[in-house]
Parts: sequence; structure tokens; C-alpha cells
Amino acid sequence: MKNFNQLNPVATMSRRYIQTLRFTLDIYRRLVAIQMRAQVQYRASFLLDVLSVAITMSMFFVSLALVFARFGNLAGWTLGQVAFLWAIVEVSFGLMDMIFSGFDPINFGRRIRQGTLDQLLLRPVNITIQVLGDDFVLRRLGRICEGFIIFALALKLAHIDWTLGKLLYLPCVVIGLVCFFGGLFIVGATITFWTVDSIEAINILTYGGSEMLSYPAHIYPDWLRRTFMYIVPALFLNYYPALYFLNKPDPFGLPTIMPFVAPLIGIGLLGAALIFWRFGLRHYQSTGT
Amino acid sequence: MITVNNLQKYFSINQRQQGWFGALRGLIKPTQTVVRAVDDISFTVQRGELVGYLGPNGAGKSTTIKMLTGLLVPSSGELQVNGAVPWREREKYVASIGAVFGQRTTLWWDLPVIESLKLLQHIYRIPEPRFRRNFAEFRELLELEPFLNSPVRSLSLGQRMRADLCAAMLHDPVLLFLDEPTIGLDVVAKQRIRQFIAHINQERSTTVLLTTHDLSDVEKLCKRVMIIDHGRLLFDGALQTLQDRFGGKRELVVDLAEAYPTVVVEGAEVLAHNGLRVTYQFDRKVVSASELIGRVSAQYRIVDLSVREPEIEATVRRIYEERLLDREPATKGGRGSGA
Amino acid sequence: MRLFWELTKLSFQRQLTYRAALLAGLATNLFFGILRASVLVALYGTRTEVAGLSIRDAITYTALTQGIIAYLSIFGWYDLMNSIASGEVAADLLKPLSYFRFWLAQDLGRALVAFFLRGVTIMLLYRLIYDITLPHGIEQGLALTASLCLSWFVSFAWRFLVNLAAFWTPNAKGVGRFAFGIAWVLSGFFMPLRFFPAWFITLCNFTPFPSMVNTNIEIYLGLLTGAALWQALASQIFWAVGLTLLCQAILRSGVRHLVVQGG
Repeated sequence: MKNFNQLNPVATMSRRYIQTLRFTLDIYRRLVAIQMRAQVQYRASFLLDVLSVAITMSMFFVSLALVFARFGNLAGWTLGQVAFLWAIVEVSFGLMDMIFSGFDPINFGRRIRQGTLDQLLLRPVNITIQVLGDDFVLRRLGRICEGFIIFALALKLAHIDWTLGKLLYLPCVVIGLVCFFGGLFIVGATITFWTVDSIEAINILTYGGSEMLSYPAHIYPDWLRRTFMYIVPALFLNYYPALYFLNKPDPFGLPTIMPFVAPLIGIGLLGAALIFWRFGLRHYQSTGT
Repeated sequence: MITVNNLQKYFSINQRQQGWFGALRGLIKPTQTVVRAVDDISFTVQRGELVGYLGPNGAGKSTTIKMLTGLLVPSSGELQVNGAVPWREREKYVASIGAVFGQRTTLWWDLPVIESLKLLQHIYRIPEPRFRRNFAEFRELLELEPFLNSPVRSLSLGQRMRADLCAAMLHDPVLLFLDEPTIGLDVVAKQRIRQFIAHINQERSTTVLLTTHDLSDVEKLCKRVMIIDHGRLLFDGALQTLQDRFGGKRELVVDLAEAYPTVVVEGAEVLAHNGLRVTYQFDRKVVSASELIGRVSAQYRIVDLSVREPEIEATVRRIYEERLLDREPATKGGRGSGA
Repeated sequence: MRLFWELTKLSFQRQLTYRAALLAGLATNLFFGILRASVLVALYGTRTEVAGLSIRDAITYTALTQGIIAYLSIFGWYDLMNSIASGEVAADLLKPLSYFRFWLAQDLGRALVAFFLRGVTIMLLYRLIYDITLPHGIEQGLALTASLCLSWFVSFAWRFLVNLAAFWTPNAKGVGRFAFGIAWVLSGFFMPLRFFPAWFITLCNFTPFPSMVNTNIEIYLGLLTGAALWQALASQIFWAVGLTLLCQAILRSGVRHLVVQGG
């Protein structure tokens, strides 16, 4: 066995890498399990919380629907079609908020102020996994439920012609959005290493981005739309896939591949965010707070 | 075990301004100042030593500890712990050390103590037999039994500290950092924790670096102390040396066999004279205790006597307040042997 | 009264120290404003007027709502419940100033900073991007001033009331999220109330929420005149007084609850 190792340094390294990965995931699973158990400990309170979030969040869509009755359509999109956009954003954002809550810039800023990041840094486990595992918020199921309710409404109103391709692609779109918003959270959290004051700025991209993606992109002024296509490519994550699902023509005449780049963009942004996060950690270790 | 050479750490911070106008001005032009939290510190600690690290608030204690535990990267200087540079390869390094910060727990707030410890077993990858052996030992020493199944948030401060100490030692660290481990505890709880620290230091030869406000911790546990103030190491040596040099005045209490109208002795001052009991105060630099006793017993008939050392607390306070050490470079040597 | 102004001043100063937060908040408000204006413009399509609001009014509406978010702290405010949870409440209750006024003073300091540095600035920035309606006439100006003051008071009383939940439940944040969420829609913050069906508007008028946002907007846009204007202001006064009394009553029983529970 030893000889084999010496002959194959690559094999040894990859085996060690896989071991570390398995260990890290095992710790993550345990941390999340603890969080969940603690959160559902008071079942009534937990259910009430989930329900009240689902209701409040649904109320926004209900009011939009009420107002829609007066107008009929939104720049050529019906209520059902807008609901489709809206639902995908809500489900994805809710999922992201559940998984990435540790990186929510507000939570993370507090963690830094209170010095609890140091406690995590004293443990011999990947720090990213610890931040994620230390703050898994099951309560976000409320928003995810709301998303599903609106999705059901969208299915009823929008008459989507389902194909196998669409069925398979739908979860990929959600993954893309989860990664995208998660990446933004990580960027925001990393910024708090430098300043805790300006975390609201990242809200433009996270909460502002989710709001923006909830409506069809062609309603926005050109400069805004271009910014969110070519600088922060958010509109490819939801609007373009929606064009594909709803069989709508692309008003901006981009290549027909564009509805399908969503997962790539999401994962790419998450990767870039993680690199920035590494950089920020190094800065934190050289300045403290 | 620890080697520190010319270690420095600077921070720059924004200052807040006063008044309605000042607040508006701060909006436009903030003022920055540079703080030298740790300013050129050097020392070494051998394996198995138990060192007290003292200093008033804001002296640079916790900045030093943060650098030693790999949380902070030094501005300049050298730092090696257990053959590693702490902030490089953090995950690997922190597996070899333990740390307890008195103000904060490393345990999970909502989890019963036992489950926190089991989770740490996985995090530190402690093999089952070793975990069981260590846990059995610490459980008894720290008397964890009564609250093993209580969630951490419901523990008293003393209980939490005991649980934290156990958590920090389960993976057999070679080096243990203790930051204010007895803060806010009552005498009995302090005693139990000190016994534990002494035990792991002696039986497991774990190197311990202890920062504390409570000088009786140092008195009971440490042979060697380091004193830091304003980011500079003011003293590094044996506790006894510190006492001898800065201890100020000692007292000699004498019970006389018969009453004398006057009890004056050369080289000492009469502090109190009540009936047959006389208290003298004397300076170790002027006269030694045995010399003074000789003089007293030559002049008067005595039944009993005792020498009172000044409290270390008073000594250290004197060092801070009168800045006794400011004028001389950090005293080296006098390293504890580390039993 | 001196203490009241001291507290206001302190809170005013504290708000001013958050320079970066101020800028970030402005940028966020403006961004959301542009998004919401885009949605309204798209909804209008070729229409020039809907429910008495011209397209220009609709855009002005988004400017106004974004401008008063911070002033009214409409997204929610949890300071008081945090202080109950942390036990600071005990010391605050002993201050020589009623608990309601203690927080009122601090909220006033916060609101003043928010009104001038965020509210007014947002309107100015909007003016650079869009052609927005400006208020005119002394009468309208006076009415608007009164309405803005009253709306702050009503919103404060509502927030105070919601925060008192912390005396009874450890999950007061959940209550808060729900209560503030409702206020968001029913106050006319999400969409102008006039766009909604009549039954919905009637429903809203039974709540204090339109007094927080909608009244300001309708006065600003000149949609309320004569008797309707007086009625809207009277309704604000009614809710200001009513909610304050309710706050006092519930605070009393909350304090009693705290004492019984032993803090």
C-alpha cells in the first residue's frame, strides 16, 4: 500500500482531498442537524413563524394581483406569466436564505462585532462550512412555501407547454439563482470585514436584485437593464429562462443559447464570491476589528 | 514551544467626534489614529511551562493571544508555536492547541453539554478510545456529571467554564490558552478550575498560557509571569523575583512576653503597638527578615512572631500605577522550570 | 422636557455617525424607487391617467414612498423588543421620563436625520432623473407638514405597540415581521391605495395604516381638498391619540407581567 502511494502522488493527493471533503461534509451535516433540532424544538412557535411569513409574503403578490385587475397586463405579460417569474425568485431566494443565512451580511456583521467568528476560526474545520452550518434557518420554509403557492398559481394561469427539457431545466434555474444570491451574500459578508456600516449597499444587489427579477426585464430603462445583463448578469438567471418556459420571443434578439446559461452564471458568481471571501479572511486576520 | 521575536501589531481606528457640529464634521472627514496594540515583544516558552500573562485592560494581552492562536497576523516580527506559524495552515495548527476564552463559550448554546462534546469529538477527529479515556478523566476532575445533559445556555458561569475546559482538552492539545478562566466565579469554583489547570500541566505536561485579572490565579499556578502594558513587555521572570524587586514593604508581627514602654528597633518602623502585639514594617532592601528578628529578640523577650509578605496584587498594582518598570528594558531570564 | 431633547439630540448624533450606512441607504432607496417606477410605467402602458393619478403622479408616488421609508422606519424596528429581551428595559423604566416618551425622543432624533438626509435627498435625486410633481400653495404645504408629523407619530405608536409583544413572547420578532408586513401593504406603500378595488380601500380605512403613508401621498399629489383633507388629518389625529392610549395601557400590563415574572 505504501509503495503504491509513493508511486502515485496524484492518487494520494486526490484520496486525501476526498477524505477532507467527506470529513467537512460530515461536519456540515452534523451542524445543520443541530440547528434544525433546536429550531423545531418549540413546534407551535416554529409553525406559526413559517405560516406568518408565508402569509405576509403572499400578501404582496395578492396586492399585485388586485392592482393587475385594473391594468390587465404588464408590458404584454399576463398575471400568470409575472407569477412564474415571481415564484421562481421567491423559491430560490427562500432556499438561498435558508442555506446561506450565516453569510447574510447583517448576521455576519454581528458575528464579527461580537467576535464569534474567532470561535469558529479556532476549530480545525473549513471556515466557510462552519459559517454555513452555524446558521441554517429552517424558518425560511415560509418564503419557500409562498413561492410554491405562487408557482401553483402561475401553472394555473400561464398554461405552460411542458416538455421534458423544460422539466429538467427548471431545477437548474433554481440552482443558478440560489448560487447567484448566495454568492452576493458572501460578497456582502466579506465587505463587512472592512466596514459594517455600508452593508445596506449590498441590499441593492440581493433584495433589489430579487425584486428586479420578479418583473419582466423589458420594463426597465435600458441603462438599468444593460447593467443587470452585462455587468451583473442577473437577468440571464430568471428572465431569459422564463422566455424559454413561456415560449416568448426575446425582445432584445440575443443568441438563442441565452436562456440556458443561468446555472453557469450562478455557479460562476458563487465561485468568484468564494475567492473574494478567502481574500477578505486574510484581510481580517491582518487587522482584526 | 512558543518563540516570539520583536512581535508588533498596529491598528488604525476612526475617532468619533462630539457635539451636533462634530457629528456633522465626522460625516465629511473622519480622523484616524494608529494604535500600537503590541509593540515589539520577544519571549520564549518551553514545553510544559505554565506562564501567567498579566496586564491591565487594553494592554495588548488579547492581541497577543489572538496572534498566538492564529486569529491575527502580526504587523511584523517572528512568531512560531509548536514548530508552526499559527496563521498559516490555520486548520492544521488549531487542531494542536486548545483555547478557552472566559467571556465566551465555544460550546453550542442550545445543545446539551454531552452533545457539544461529542460534536467536538468529530470536529477534532478524536478516536473513540482516546475520547472515552479523556472524557472519563475530565468528567471526574471537573465534576461535569450533574449538568452533562443540560443545554449550555442553562449552565451557571462556573459550570460553563468547566464544560469549556473539558471541551478544550479533549483532543489532547500540546498547548492551552486560557483567557480569564476564573472571571466572575466564586472562590470554590475558582479553586476547582485552578486545580484542573495545575493537574493537566503536571500530569499531561500541557503547556499553559494564562491571562487573568485575578492575581491569586497567578500566585497559585504560575512560577513565571509576564507583564505587558501599553503593548510593551515590562517584566518576564519568576514570580518570586517580581516580589523581591517590587514587593515593597514586608511586615513583622511580634507577640512580646511582657509589656515594654517603647518597642523601637533600628531599620524598621512601628506600624501598630497594641498591648503585647507589635507590628513592624520594613524594607527588604534595608534589612533582611532574619536580621530584623535578631535585633528584636536581642532587645525584647518574644513569645511568637510571623513575617507577612505583601500581596502580589498590591505589587502589580504598584507596577502599573507608578510605572516602576518603564525605565528599564524587559527583564529576561528567570524562566520557570516547568515542573 | 430637557431630558427629552437630550435624548433626541443623542440619537440624532448617533444616526449621523453612520455615514456609510446613510449613503448605502440612499442608494438602495433610489434603486428600489426606479424599479417601482418602471413597474408603474409599464402597467400604465398607453394610459395617461388611472384612478385620478397621472403617470407623473405615479412616478412621484414612488419617490415619496422611497423618501419616507427611513423616516417612518416602515420596514420594521426592533430596538425596543431587543431591549426587553436583553433586560435593559428595567433600567429604562426607572428613567425620570415615561417609557413611551423615552423611546419617542430617540425615534424623533432618528426620524429627523432620516427625513432631511434621506427623505429630502431622495426627492432631489428623483428630480434629476424624473419629472416629478411638486407641491404648491401654502395651504397644501401646511397640510403636508401636519400630515408628515402625524404620520411619523402614528407609525411610531404602531411600532411601539408591536414591540411590546416582547413582554409576553420570546418570539416577538415573528410578531413584528407579520405586523410590519401587513402595514407595508395596507398603508399604501406597496401600491397606491387608489389602484385597489373599493372593498379593499374600505378595509384599509378601518386600520391606522393609511395614516402612515397614504395620507401623505394623497395630500402631496393634491388629491385631497376641502372636507376630504380635513377628514384625512382628523383620521391621523384619531389614530395618533388612539394608538398612544393603547400603547400606555398595554405597556402598563406588560410591566406588570414583567414584575410578576421577575424580569
